[in-house]
Amino acid sequence: MTQPATAAQKEAPTSATKSTGGQEGSRRLGLRWDMRSLSLLAVLAVLVAVGGITAPDEFLATSNLQLVLTQASVIGVVTVGMTFVITSGGIDLSVGAIVALASVWATTVATQEFGFAGILFTAVIVGVGCGLVNGLLIAYGRMVPFIATLAMLASARGLALQITDGSTQIVTVGSVLDLGARDAYVLGIPPLVLIFAAVTVIGWLLLNRTTFGRRTVAVGGNAEAARLAGIDVRRQRLYLYLLSGLCCGIAAFMLIVLAGSGQNTNGNLYELDAIAAAIIGGTLLSGGRGTILGSVLGVLVFTTITNIFALNNLETAVQQIAKGAIIVAAVLVQRRSMHGDA
Amino acid sequence: MARIPSTSRRALLFGTAAVSAGALMTACTSNEPTNQEQAADNAPVADDKPGKAVTIGFAGPQADHGWLNAINDNAKSRAKKYSDVTLEITEGSNDIAQQIGQIQTLINKKVDVLVILPADGKALTQVGLQAMRAGIPVVNLDRVFASPQAYRCWIGGDNYGMGLNAGHYIGERLKDMPNAKVVELAGLDNLELTRQRTKGFDDALKNYPNIKKVARQAAEFTVESGQAKMAQLLQAQSQFDALWNHDDDQGVGALRAIDQAGRDDFLMVGGAGAKSAMDAIKADNSVLKATVLYPPTMAASAIDLARGLGQGKGVGGLAEFEIPSSLTLYSAVVTKDNVDQYLPTGFS
Amino acid sequence: MAPQPPLLTMSGITKSFPGVRALDGVDLEVQAGEVHCLLGQNGAGKSTLIKVLAGAHQPDSGEITWRGEPVTLGSPIAAMRLGIATIYQELDLIEGLSVAENVFLGHEPTSAGFVVRGSAARTATARILQRLGHAEIDPARLVGDLSAAQQQIVSMARALSHDVRLIVMDEPSAALDPEEVDNLFRIVGDLTADGVAVIYISHRLEEIRRIGERVTVLKEGRSVAGGLPAESTPTQEVVALMTGRNVEYVFPERPEAGFAAGREPVLKVEGLTRRGEFAPVDLELRPGEIVGLAGLVGSGRSEILETVYGARKPDGGRVLVDGTPLRPGSVRAAVRAGIGLAPEERKAQALLMLESVSSNVSVSTLSRFARAGWLDRRTERAAAHQAVRELSLRPDNPDAAIRTLSGGNQQKAVLARWLLRGCKVLLLDEPTRGVDIGARAELYAVIRRLADDGLAVLLVSSEVPEVLGLADRVLVLREGSVVHTADARELDEHRVLDLVMEGSLTP
Repeated sequence: MTQPATAAQKEAPTSATKSTGGQEGSRRLGLRWDMRSLSLLAVLAVLVAVGGITAPDEFLATSNLQLVLTQASVIGVVTVGMTFVITSGGIDLSVGAIVALASVWATTVATQEFGFAGILFTAVIVGVGCGLVNGLLIAYGRMVPFIATLAMLASARGLALQITDGSTQIVTVGSVLDLGARDAYVLGIPPLVLIFAAVTVIGWLLLNRTTFGRRTVAVGGNAEAARLAGIDVRRQRLYLYLLSGLCCGIAAFMLIVLAGSGQNTNGNLYELDAIAAAIIGGTLLSGGRGTILGSVLGVLVFTTITNIFALNNLETAVQQIAKGAIIVAAVLVQRRSMHGDA
Repeated sequence: MARIPSTSRRALLFGTAAVSAGALMTACTSNEPTNQEQAADNAPVADDKPGKAVTIGFAGPQADHGWLNAINDNAKSRAKKYSDVTLEITEGSNDIAQQIGQIQTLINKKVDVLVILPADGKALTQVGLQAMRAGIPVVNLDRVFASPQAYRCWIGGDNYGMGLNAGHYIGERLKDMPNAKVVELAGLDNLELTRQRTKGFDDALKNYPNIKKVARQAAEFTVESGQAKMAQLLQAQSQFDALWNHDDDQGVGALRAIDQAGRDDFLMVGGAGAKSAMDAIKADNSVLKATVLYPPTMAASAIDLARGLGQGKGVGGLAEFEIPSSLTLYSAVVTKDNVDQYLPTGFS
Repeated sequence: MAPQPPLLTMSGITKSFPGVRALDGVDLEVQAGEVHCLLGQNGAGKSTLIKVLAGAHQPDSGEITWRGEPVTLGSPIAAMRLGIATIYQELDLIEGLSVAENVFLGHEPTSAGFVVRGSAARTATARILQRLGHAEIDPARLVGDLSAAQQQIVSMARALSHDVRLIVMDEPSAALDPEEVDNLFRIVGDLTADGVAVIYISHRLEEIRRIGERVTVLKEGRSVAGGLPAESTPTQEVVALMTGRNVEYVFPERPEAGFAAGREPVLKVEGLTRRGEFAPVDLELRPGEIVGLAGLVGSGRSEILETVYGARKPDGGRVLVDGTPLRPGSVRAAVRAGIGLAPEERKAQALLMLESVSSNVSVSTLSRFARAGWLDRRTERAAAHQAVRELSLRPDNPDAAIRTLSGGNQQKAVLARWLLRGCKVLLLDEPTRGVDIGARAELYAVIRRLADDGLAVLLVSSEVPEVLGLADRVLVLREGSVVHTADARELDEHRVLDLVMEGSLTP
């Protein structure tokens, strides 16, 4: 230890009390970035207005709010994990396939014999296991994330098909099914929505308040600088794909509760939905910036669009066209508000 | 679009024939002693007795869906039943190029008859033609080739008929109810068969002026999408009297959504004939009251037809010397009353 | 010479980048058919001037005339249309394309306006290559498969594929062996005989004497002499022009020579080597001492620094901190042992450009502010603030976005990172690159103060006066080997330049 550092440490508490005040938090770049992503709130407000006008009775009902949040919760949990990976400059194309694999593995006859705990445990372990393989290939096998997770996508889907032989595995464990029933709502909030909320809060804290989050941002912002600053970039990458896999495992369990079954087609195109939600939420595809709040808003925007379309009985073709248009519009709004800020 | 008129015409032409054929198939699959006595006396008829040895090549798409899996199982177990049949079955593939390669391999192996369920009927027409030119008769299963020259015999389900029968069933149940409302949960909208099913359904409902279709949403043949789309439909329509769901697989999800919403004020009709759906119909403890068949037993029938072609025999129950060039199966409505008969054909 | 107007005149060209005035009034006059040499130290503004000429940078002020007509070089295409071609030091070829495709990139011979006639391009390329004396290069080969020297030829062929009046060559001989240099000179001779002008940039005075006609000398963004006869101008005059300064750097006072001799070395480098980069080097660094490495680009100075830091894996030798050897090739081991690096490419290698000053300072010290992974952001920010204040970083706000800071203050943020970490050895690679002259003195003072507080500093700089003014001891490097070691006060700029320029400066 040399003097300057010791001095810095010694004086730290004093200067902290001196110079920090209430405005400290709001001046942080991280939170400001979150504020930017809140421009999506405007998009969401417009959608709510459209929903309220076109289908006033159905859209504004409590039951519809519960429905939208429930529908958002599975893909929402996946998107939280994806946000971390994208923030670190990576990509995880295998999330949908991992959800499928975890959901079928957790609903085999053998697994179901172990009841609620068996299903939950298996779903999470399979998710984490796939994430571990992704992480090892990318961090230590030095594979490009796009390729490694693409390979995982193919293999996990294949394995899911192998396990099910194409059939639908119905869940017979009552306690799992009950979790999706109306009786299980806590103060009117479906348990799946509670899980989603918990994952969101933990994800936000992890990204914005921990060394793990800061290192994620550093690796994504400038991996070489992070390495030269003494950060173990590879280990960080391993953890990130593990985290994404964990989120997929949790999502798979939620999907089992929601659909009452496991099927190899589960999680179809989740990778694209999760990436799209994170990006319109304001996470930079190039890495270095991520916002959990934005991602969650992105998911809610997509789910609300689907909901409004269904309530108005629009055709699939129209839905798809409109979804594309809204992605472009949301990103343009976002871009404008960012430029205004910078 | 050329297929729709032809399919509907086929449905009409074969109206009566199909009923008897359907009955025959049912008889076959329920493994009762077949009623060969009723066959025309002078036509050589394929029967269970061992005859000339036949090698049948079977190529289908990847079994990533319960129904397709049942197709493979039906073909295999049917072939096993005959000591004179050797089945050369390829690894299923959804890749058109790969499937073409597999079929060409079967042609080169000089199998006696080919049964092909193409991943895409139009795209595999050429390889069907190749086989026919090589002197190998082709039994085209379900997804039809673009040219009749590409197959000796086509056997398949009737998508238009599914919609028609589902519509008629619902119509009869609701015909005394004024201003009845009906909801449709369709399958993957990109597929022509989904549109055919919807057209049949709409055409049937035209016979019942008191019934109005108030909503239609398309799911993706998956449990997950069935749950999601059904939940939205239930939210959008606070009251309706009947629901037709195109596919029993996505129906698992739809039933889950109905259960979660706590709704039981309507009747539901399924499609395809999954075992889970038939079990529910039999138990009669949910909104699901019926399902319209798209029977995977057609694969077993296709093996019968292929064996008949290989041995130069006709079909029992008909006066014809030759096997028909086209067989459209009947989309029977399975209800509580007849579910026991169909239960063994239900797939999971 | 007078009857015809010069091919190119540039007068009063200025160009500023944020924090740096790269060109501060440059005049240049080039006649058709001459070889005009451009001389100047690193950072004198040569590269910027070339880019202005190539249309890649727009000057802030000044005039350019081409064959007597005023012109603006608004884009690289505009420059190309006039007949100005540039061969950059870092070759700008596309490795995945063939030789012919590279040569005719952007102006491919076509049929019906869009169908590329590959054979025509190959034939034309073969003709140009023959003219360059390199008929052995197959126009159909991929550029990525060629040697560096061959790629140089392809670059030149690309320049000649246009109707070219002026070719700018930026250190074309750097990657060539002597025979190839001879061939290069033959080509230059042929070109000038055809009336094409060449602007030739090189560090090697002997080359300039061989082929140059006139010399323009740049220093600190200004042309300090123009049109000197290349053959007859005495070397000492050229060097004096290159090194003489108007703005004297203010270096902090240093302790007496040998002040640290009694201290235990904190860093020891023993026989450290990387094949093809630098020969085994030995080095000792004592607390409070600043040791400088002087050498040209490519002399191995940055590579040595990065290998000591573990960012490159050595082929031999070892690095010891306080007598304990470090795991080779591990940055984390080096950082844990107390080594810090301020790398050459600050933006690419050190800074998180989207982040605040505070995040950039604390990134190497995060776990100190965390309990079970949970960051105490108050303490973190306060500690970063303290470190930043100690180095008088402006603005005095740890929440400022790092990208809004000047180069000098960004560099202070990097130093603050290691100050906060409490490291014992600081490796500085080009610490004043992109830092304007006024701010340098402050940075020098900061570095010296850190040393006085007990840090050992290893300094690499391409600016000889900086090394001589700041360091206590200097190691002079040439082509990967230490050719001289001395107390900084015993050396002067001429002597060092002489040593690094392969003894070409015989007085």
